[in-house]
Amino acid sequence: MTARQLVSPERIVVAIVVVVVVIVCATTPQFLTLNNTKAILASTSVVGMAALGLTFITIVGSVVSLATAQSMAVVAMVFLAAQSWGLVPAMLISLVVGVVIGGIQGLAVGYWSINPVVLTIVTAFALTGLATLVSGGTTVNASGDGFKGLNATPGGIPLSVFVFAALALASQIVLQFSIKGRQIYLVGENRLAATSAGLPVARVVVFAWAAFGLLSSVGAMFLAAFNTSATINVGGSLTFDAIAAVLTGGTSIAGGRGSAIRTVIGVLAISIISDVLLLRGFSTGAQIAVKGVLILVFVVVVQVRAGRVAR
Amino acid sequence: MTRWRGRLRVETVLPGVSLVVTLVAFVVAAAAIGRSISPYDGYNALQGFAQLGLLALPLGLTMIAGEFDLSVAGVYALAGMLTVQFGQQQPLLGVGVAVVTGALVGAFQGGLIARFRLPSMPVTIASYIILLGVTSFISGGLTKTYTNADATAFVDQPVLTLFSPRSLITLALFVAIGLILSFSRLGSELRAIGGDRRAARASGVRTDGLLVGLFTASGALAAVGGSLLSISYSSANPDPGIQPLVLAVVAALIGGVSLAGGRGSAWGLLVGAVVVALLSQIVIFATLPGYVTQLVFAGFLLIVIAVDAPGVRRRVAAYVDARQLRGTRE
Amino acid sequence: MNSEAQGQPVVLIDGLTRSFGTSTAVDGVSFSVNAGEIRGLCGHNGAGKSTVIKMLTGQLQPDSGTITVDGEIVRLRNPHAAQRAGIAVVDQELSVIPALNVAENLRLGDVSAGFFPGRGARGIQRQLLDDLGLADVRLDERVTDLNLGQRQLVEIARALSRNARLLILDEPTATLSDSEAQLVFRAIRRVAARGCAIIFVSHRLREVLELCDSVTVLRDARLVGTASSAELTVSQLIVQMLGEAPHRPARTAGAALDERSPLSVTDLRVPGSVSGFTLEAVPGVVYGIAGQVGSGASDVLRAIAGLHPGSRGAIGLAGSSLTRNDPTSRLGSGIMYVSNDRKGEGLFLEKTVGENLTSTRLPHLSRAGFVGLNRERQQRRLLAGLTGIPDARIGEAVSGFSGGNQQKVFIARTLDRPDARVLLIDEPTRGVDIGGRAAIHELLRSAAASGMIVIFASTELEELIELGDVILTMKDGHVVRRHDGDIRGDELMRDMTHDEDARR
Repeated sequence: MTARQLVSPERIVVAIVVVVVVIVCATTPQFLTLNNTKAILASTSVVGMAALGLTFITIVGSVVSLATAQSMAVVAMVFLAAQSWGLVPAMLISLVVGVVIGGIQGLAVGYWSINPVVLTIVTAFALTGLATLVSGGTTVNASGDGFKGLNATPGGIPLSVFVFAALALASQIVLQFSIKGRQIYLVGENRLAATSAGLPVARVVVFAWAAFGLLSSVGAMFLAAFNTSATINVGGSLTFDAIAAVLTGGTSIAGGRGSAIRTVIGVLAISIISDVLLLRGFSTGAQIAVKGVLILVFVVVVQVRAGRVAR
Repeated sequence: MTRWRGRLRVETVLPGVSLVVTLVAFVVAAAAIGRSISPYDGYNALQGFAQLGLLALPLGLTMIAGEFDLSVAGVYALAGMLTVQFGQQQPLLGVGVAVVTGALVGAFQGGLIARFRLPSMPVTIASYIILLGVTSFISGGLTKTYTNADATAFVDQPVLTLFSPRSLITLALFVAIGLILSFSRLGSELRAIGGDRRAARASGVRTDGLLVGLFTASGALAAVGGSLLSISYSSANPDPGIQPLVLAVVAALIGGVSLAGGRGSAWGLLVGAVVVALLSQIVIFATLPGYVTQLVFAGFLLIVIAVDAPGVRRRVAAYVDARQLRGTRE
Repeated sequence: MNSEAQGQPVVLIDGLTRSFGTSTAVDGVSFSVNAGEIRGLCGHNGAGKSTVIKMLTGQLQPDSGTITVDGEIVRLRNPHAAQRAGIAVVDQELSVIPALNVAENLRLGDVSAGFFPGRGARGIQRQLLDDLGLADVRLDERVTDLNLGQRQLVEIARALSRNARLLILDEPTATLSDSEAQLVFRAIRRVAARGCAIIFVSHRLREVLELCDSVTVLRDARLVGTASSAELTVSQLIVQMLGEAPHRPARTAGAALDERSPLSVTDLRVPGSVSGFTLEAVPGVVYGIAGQVGSGASDVLRAIAGLHPGSRGAIGLAGSSLTRNDPTSRLGSGIMYVSNDRKGEGLFLEKTVGENLTSTRLPHLSRAGFVGLNRERQQRRLLAGLTGIPDARIGEAVSGFSGGNQQKVFIARTLDRPDARVLLIDEPTRGVDIGGRAAIHELLRSAAASGMIVIFASTELEELIELGDVILTMKDGHVVRRHDGDIRGDELMRDMTHDEDARR
């Protein structure tokens, strides 16, 4: 690496952000306690699984999904409602629902080149309406007890953390070593070149969106187990958190670059920042605003760096 | 065949036909429920128009230029909050603060997009998130009340039976922008940078300056809309949800604007906004449950973006080309 | 012809030089054009014409040398600056905007126009259009409704309306009929009579001699000379452009290897571009399609590759017909396509050389859906060896390599694969220096010798002669002639540029 690259403006910005974050963390009273660490890890895993899924579609060039929270809420509702059939069947059904929601969007984006962001706006709205229609506007409660198994804490650490770690590893392997994974990067970098080269672009896009559906469904199940009941709003700010996590990790919003590992780093960063803000008494609004600023900073930095490399 | 196709352009046909169809549906729906149409319905429809018009207009303008300003929904919310915050005694002060803020937010985004050649969608998504956060922060997450009853009464008082100062201001802004775009070079330049950015730049169009101005105007317009709405509702809501955005995009697409850019006018956007306002009215007086509205509008939006999608257009074009070839074989 | 009365050079370029990496595109070119003079600029592809034009229009900066307009040295930093300096251009790449109507396009980007377009402007615009034969085109007509020729005329009208000191037209008649071209010439002469200097770049040599007062010829980045067109014939012009008559280096012509498994293309039609292309191609022979911009050569290759879903015609490979018309199925049938735009539609610029090399053959290197890393590494080394790129650099992003190396990577992607039967390549050595060209031609030769059917399209005469065993010349969407055996450069040139008497 040349000296110029080492001290480039982009790296300076990132360094400043890191330093600020570290200082704020160190000066926050309850930050360095065991309880706090556990709390961070627990919240990390659900956002993490959503972010892992989002990583697939961001790399393939579909920018982001604005329907993450609603999709996960629907899966959570399905999961709880299906508990009376047993834990495993409920899990299977939930996964299928998640894959279908993602896959349908993937078909539209892959075969018709529909604008993905606007499509997810439709999805968010449609799912909200659909959920109200089906649930009658009431809260969905668990119809059985099986889900409680998901709240287990082997060795004091929430089960969701282990699952997240496993999924992160699996995602990294798929992205880096599988045919579809490699093709996701190629399609994301230059869809025209991929088409011209004969790559099965539409199928690759569907795969990425199905992966998004699958991974966020797992997160939704843990979300449901943690909350024990679900409405369409149970997803909270997951949509924005997932976006913030993926982009803070350094994945380019233009597509073609990024990795599951980067997303894990981004998820940790977002969780730490959210936690610090909470401990310091920042309101929800302020937390959201800070995450938005982070997203903006990283979008600009990553894009500028990509532009510089290409020239 | 080409001549004929040329005269029937999407951006004139679509809004026109949609308006006619919607008016017919309006009359039919009223008859179906057994209620007669009164001028009050017109007033309500125009109030609905005022509510979404100043979201559809700025969003639509950025779409014409090949961009997408998602932050208009955020500016809308923030403007409402700022107006309530600063305009309790002096409504004009509140509106002023809101509009200046909106313009600054827009200018900042426009500057980033132009200077760093960034795609507008991620930048405006980030801004949207920031603006929602700031809005919520100002009110502590709660809905803030506006106590100036005189101002509230003023903006919604009936003018000429059908209008209100709010809908008139909205209408005036549409007309002003429409006139500017129709009669100055801005109109064609906007469509040029949306239709073919490279060719526009090569032709000498000042794309960067145009983008900054566009986003600044977008922010200011959305701010006016949000301001007036919060005065009218006597409150500012920190989380308007995704519905306003859905309605605005539907209005823009019905108005003849394309997500790909290069097509559309303020007049089309005006008609699009009126159409969506009428549709909302139909849903309201048909007293359908909320979720039906959501599903109906989600369905509308899906249809319009599917029709607009490049993949769909390509397949249709290929089909047409193949038919043409088969025809000329003999 | 125009008088020399004004005599003052409007534009003077002196010692203009520009290189790209190691290849020199323009080497110390100097010439001047007087007011009222119509100067032709000729030279076959790669001679440096487009680079000189780009420097005159502010799209590129010269490495050294000066440009003088009306006696003052100017620095043309961008297209806007060139416009302000009084230089108007009709570029090869159309920049009329389809979304706008004709009047709006005429006005677009005019530095001298006000905020509100004046009423008088419409009259002038109408006159301009009528003069160019567009009397039946309305000012408020959308450009999307115009055909390619009409769009070209609108673009010319726009340049003519700019009151420029220097007007440059780069291949303006490529998509025009003879009669349309005549109207353009009349308009150009009118503008010249007003004192404007004109530079007219074209491959249609007969037109150049008809329209221009004088002709400047470039060859291999240098100026050959400027002569009055009254003293030149087309043949002499060709000789100047090519230097000595190009002779083919001694080599064995490709022999047909397997007559039984040809690629047969029958009556291929692409709407708006190709009208009835037929060819039976066998392995071992290198086929070249010779045609200028707009001839349809590129679209023939694209259609065979499945990139024109609206195309029609029968395509068969080794006896079985290819019914599915999409790039993925064609790749599956063994048809490899290399486009003429390696940066926009070819390579994955941010990815490494290695990743690019194996990007289209991952299923062959994999088991159970996962890529075998060792096999992939071996394959990458092997392919990199073909391109001459050292192993150490396989992990570098392809954007950091020269045009020649990039092109080699692009081509190597299609080589050494058991599933490859046909190689379609458009402009094999665009933007590649002499050394790279030889290497690439060698790659293509050996691909043919190893049993592949190789078909390339090119606008470069030398390349066509060096590489092609069989050459089909194309013009205006149809095949003009098939050349076998002893191929002569001037014959090809004539086919590509000469206007046929019999027209569609």
